[in-house]
Amino acid sequence: MNKSLLNLPDVASVNPFSLSMTVLATVCVFAISGCDAPKPIERNAPQFDLVTTDDANEDIGTYVLPQDTSILKEPNAEQIFYGKRLLNETKRLMPDHVGAAMNCNSCHISQGKIPLGDPYINSYNFYPRVMPRAEKMVDLEMRINGCFQRSMNGKAVDRDSAEMLAMVAYMKWLAQNTPKSQKVAINNAGEVDTSLVPDTVRGEKIYHVQCAACHGDNGEGMKDSRGDIVFPPLWGDESFNIGAGMARTYKAAAFVKYNMPMGIQTKGLWGHGNVLSDQDAVDVAEFFTHKPRPDFAGKVNDWPTGKKPKDARY
Amino acid sequence: MKKWPLTIAVLGVGGLALAFALGQALPNLRTSTSTIEVNINDPELIKKGQYVARTADCVACHTTLNGEDFAGGLPMLTPLGAIYSTNITPDKETGIGNYTFDDFNNATKHGVRKDNSALYPAMPYPSYQIMPEEDMAAMYAYFMSGVKAVKQTNKPSEMPPVLNWRWPLAYWQAIFAPEREFIAETDDAVLARGQYLIEGPGHCGSCHTERGIGFQELALSNADSEEFLSGAVIDGWRAKSLRGEHDGLAIWSTAELVDFFKTGRTDITAAFGAMAEVVEHSTQYMTEDDLYAMSAYLKTLSPKPGEPVTIAAKEDVTTQKLMDGVYDSRGSILYAEYCQICHRADGKGVPRIFPALEGNSAVYSRDADSVLQITLSGGRMPDTPHDRMAFTMPEFINLSDADVAEVVNYIRNSWTNQGSKVDVDDVVKMRHFLSKKPKTGTDVAPDLSITAAAKGANRE
Repeated sequence: MNKSLLNLPDVASVNPFSLSMTVLATVCVFAISGCDAPKPIERNAPQFDLVTTDDANEDIGTYVLPQDTSILKEPNAEQIFYGKRLLNETKRLMPDHVGAAMNCNSCHISQGKIPLGDPYINSYNFYPRVMPRAEKMVDLEMRINGCFQRSMNGKAVDRDSAEMLAMVAYMKWLAQNTPKSQKVAINNAGEVDTSLVPDTVRGEKIYHVQCAACHGDNGEGMKDSRGDIVFPPLWGDESFNIGAGMARTYKAAAFVKYNMPMGIQTKGLWGHGNVLSDQDAVDVAEFFTHKPRPDFAGKVNDWPTGKKPKDARY
Repeated sequence: MKKWPLTIAVLGVGGLALAFALGQALPNLRTSTSTIEVNINDPELIKKGQYVARTADCVACHTTLNGEDFAGGLPMLTPLGAIYSTNITPDKETGIGNYTFDDFNNATKHGVRKDNSALYPAMPYPSYQIMPEEDMAAMYAYFMSGVKAVKQTNKPSEMPPVLNWRWPLAYWQAIFAPEREFIAETDDAVLARGQYLIEGPGHCGSCHTERGIGFQELALSNADSEEFLSGAVIDGWRAKSLRGEHDGLAIWSTAELVDFFKTGRTDITAAFGAMAEVVEHSTQYMTEDDLYAMSAYLKTLSPKPGEPVTIAAKEDVTTQKLMDGVYDSRGSILYAEYCQICHRADGKGVPRIFPALEGNSAVYSRDADSVLQITLSGGRMPDTPHDRMAFTMPEFINLSDADVAEVVNYIRNSWTNQGSKVDVDDVVKMRHFLSKKPKTGTDVAPDLSITAAAKGANRE
């Protein structure tokens, strides 16, 4: 006892700085090992209401956006993954069917999983149905082929081909067994004020400040070292043709407003959109949609009874 | 026997009183009195001072997000509670408007404020100490006449009682921040200028040099030891080694460094986190000569002892697997879904738009803090006039902690990358840390609105 007491004055004479450091270290250890040791958290998946197709207000359940890792649980996992790859890299994997330097997912943001970014979430259940442009019954395969022939300026894909079956399988998986009579309460496209009058001069300025870094000063887009598409061309021979929805001012404006630019926000899977006002979006959309682009031979069959929207190109 | 406790108490109290008294006196030994007259209305001097303040990056810590320049209030998180940066605008009531040149000089270079108490070493006065008096005079003129006075009261520290005493800091200063002068390592004027900027105003060591038990930088110059700028972790970022080993600057050229300081990016990488702030507020404004000098000096630093200058070659099998849809791990499926669209199958990203993950030491460095933080919190590149857009990385905060670990391990070990494994706990800890960390300018999306662009809001 005597011995230990004799040691004590030494402790008291320790310089106050190290004393405070000791206290500090003790408090640190306490704070770090403290009571609120957090636990690993699970995925916070986006969830949307399910509604019936006739009554949009009737809440009948919840749709949980699936992560691709859950494809592994499906018996046809390989087919679904193939479909997903085709939608992501259409040009590289189906060069005979794609004329433009475009992929399906050049427009269908984040693999068709984003509301207002042309999602595929409701596609499997939405078709077949009578569509305004064709004024006839269009099924999912026909709709997909519409994209191949217009937006991707290419050729239709055989309905029974492994490629078509795979793309449909991906969309079916994305629907997550939602019954045919129900839909996920999301919008495929956002709204812009269609009464706004476009100003292409202003649109060109906006294009050069906010679009050209990726899509190029001449709308040529960007390819990687292998020649694969990074950013799609917005006009010219390698862009979507005049028959594409994206060639229409207000459709393009709605897409641009909510989805472009990408990599510019810290929220959202692509960090995308919500930079431009309606007027900005309409101006820039008018500018790039009306630049030279391939014609579409099948245009003669569109809107057969003449009920054209005001931004139709022909 | 019974007298012992009393003796101890007396000695203890006496010792403390003595220490306190000495602690009060110590700062007097650090301060200096200058004979120079500073004309705070000299436009040339003010302009020079603005440049010096840029090189010292005062604004980074003395300004909050959306706050007035130099009005302070930015919290520095310590395990014991936050301390806040102070108002250094010339406001007489709440800022430094009543500071004489000597007061300014003593605070900035010696860490002693006007009331003679010691400043926390969060203020990098151990680095600023080598700055010449002429530069301090110019900065003083700038802060007195070139900065808008803002009335904003300083926030008290949140340190608990006793630990918030300032006098023990005087001992810290005596031990860890002794008076020192700038000693050039070489006769080469360019390298010496670079060394000075790195060691002094640039205070690069504040983040890039490991700190010791007393929070002191283990080396304040290359002459001190090879610990200088050999990498450290701060604010959940890995501030990389700036020395000559592979994970340091071995694979960087001087020209790439200049490009990086000036524009915040190169063809393969981009500044993010705290370094994005440095480029945005400081280095983008520096002259080509100064940027070259800093870059050239950094390239002279020897490799950190024990660290390899080159690493074993590794064949890239990842790119082909991703292109063929061979998803042989959960990480690969996650990468294909969330990362590949920007960072690409070959992990090389897109030059000046999306940084490469392949061959990027921020991804595979032994300490994974940076890659974990940017994955969970996102961030943006510095905004400079050199590039049209300052791109962001979105936050992937909605992924599970287990999946963040999976995908981070995937990118740390794909292509030619060779990194150690992180585990779920590392993700949990980072997420917890980020829940408390205040946002800074490059944590949030840029203001891209047409009106902001017209006003030059992103160009200061």
